Amino acid sequence: MIAGDLMALMPLLILAVGSIIVLLAGAVRPGGWLYPLAIAIIAAAVVWTIAVPATAVMPGISITPFSRFFSCFLDGTGIVAMLLAAGYNRRRGIIGEEYPATLLFALAGMGTACAATDLLMLFLGLESFTFAFYVLVAIERNSDRGGEAGLKYLLNGTLSAAILGMGIALVYAGSGTLKLAELAMPGAARPFGTLVLAGSCLILFGLAFKLSLVPAHLWTADVYQGATAPVTALLSTASKGASLGVVLLLMPLFSALPAGHHILWWLALLSMLCGNLAALVQTSIKRMLAWSSVAQMGYAAMGLVAAPAGGLRAAAFYVVLYAVAGLATFGAVAVLSDDGERDAIEGYRGMGYVNPLAGAAMAVGLFSLAGIPPAGGFMAKFAVFSATLREGEITLAMVGILTALVAVFFYLRVVVTLYMRPAEGPVTAVRPLLTTEVVALVIPTAVLIFLGIYPSPLLDLLMTLLPGG
Amino acid sequence: MENLNSYLIVSAILFSIGTIGVLTRKNAIVIFLSIELIQNAVNLTFVAFSRHLGNLDGQVFVFFVMTVAAAEAAVGLALMIAFYNNKESIDVDDVNLMKW
Repeated sequence: MIAGDLMALMPLLILAVGSIIVLLAGAVRPGGWLYPLAIAIIAAAVVWTIAVPATAVMPGISITPFSRFFSCFLDGTGIVAMLLAAGYNRRRGIIGEEYPATLLFALAGMGTACAATDLLMLFLGLESFTFAFYVLVAIERNSDRGGEAGLKYLLNGTLSAAILGMGIALVYAGSGTLKLAELAMPGAARPFGTLVLAGSCLILFGLAFKLSLVPAHLWTADVYQGATAPVTALLSTASKGASLGVVLLLMPLFSALPAGHHILWWLALLSMLCGNLAALVQTSIKRMLAWSSVAQMGYAAMGLVAAPAGGLRAAAFYVVLYAVAGLATFGAVAVLSDDGERDAIEGYRGMGYVNPLAGAAMAVGLFSLAGIPPAGGFMAKFAVFSATLREGEITLAMVGILTALVAVFFYLRVVVTLYMRPAEGPVTAVRPLLTTEVVALVIPTAVLIFLGIYPSPLLDLLMTLLPGG
Repeated sequence: MENLNSYLIVSAILFSIGTIGVLTRKNAIVIFLSIELIQNAVNLTFVAFSRHLGNLDGQVFVFFVMTVAAAEAAVGLALMIAFYNNKESIDVDDVNLMKW
């Protein structure tokens, strides 16, 4: 490894070493100061990623413009989640250095997964951030729901990891290599056989779990509801973003398979249908958003189906905007929860006037998820649907548009609750917002509106990053 | 290597036992053990094919799968203790606060 490689790898090293530093510093002097320290570490990684546009190729990992884009995006969501958690965790009595240290470790794992060039690093990256989430989901140890969500996520997650491992083993057995570049080109000398097909299906299943695509989605609602709101904000955004980055890395393998297209087609269709229909009947806002994230990932998978017609760009664009909207909505949930979680949708009556900033952030986030302009989600849906229609997948696009119409109902129901119904009982003294919370709400809201009005910089960037599709 | 098949049959048996265990058992620790069995099936497949193909990548992968399994056990048992402290049980039938 030469100095240039080290420079390129530095953001990942900053996060990994930073995680250990936070853990050690917390042992010496615990307290709230670890949150600003962790935010500074993530910010340093982002600045380094942007300021030093180095690329490097190492065994198993290579820093490319693609991986640098995903690192910046994921670190950004990490910063917002950390800002939200700083105040929230203090209110809920979650003390200790575990939270910031584990979050940094998760970001390092995500960066590794998106920079992987072979299946080994890909597996390790995916598993390291999933491990971090096992801990984060159950960070509130004494709460019944936190423990239950952690156990559910753990059992489902380890099973999906084992299936992913089996898939990688079969792909290795059939092709004799773990390198993504060699897998992407099934040479005439060694056409892919049944083993690679079976292995790829198992890998796709393992990734479908991480993206919570139907039929591997059943954990989503329970884990989202049981975890604390800032953790859910990160779990529903960064973990989905990183997993989609991994799917994009593996797309050459999946699209070379005879059945790959059909599998993705059904995953997308079922996710859109199940997610949107189940979200209709929820009374808890976190469960509603969880089912909506199943559906949203269905739309992103629809972009993957339309890969030859520019669908990969659309899917990446979609997941970025979904993540930003998720941060805004879950951020508002975190800010509006005081000493207990504000979970019932009914509990949000009149909140748009009681706490205007949080109400506005939630409304803009929900508009974006529903795909109503000028919020960014409209451009994302537009990109995905136009790619799908260019590809000629009329049925899929029709189902997508119809389910998106259904979805408008349950998103707007929350907005109506926020603004058009009076608060229950006399409004008690409103807790003033902390600076960290204001920043954490303003960033995603501003990004959503900006990208809804002027999306071309991001689209152009994705065009250069994913020239193949 | 002419007996590659025998390794793969053992691996398939391990995988099946693990899957059946995950689907039928009620105790969270036994489910966890079954998942570890599946991971051992993965390891056996890797080692057998690594030998068969004359390629060391598979052997390296096995070390990492074992490391991942060890880390999983550490995190998993900690989570189960936390759950036990709240519920006095690690039966998955008692994981029932949140539904639908």
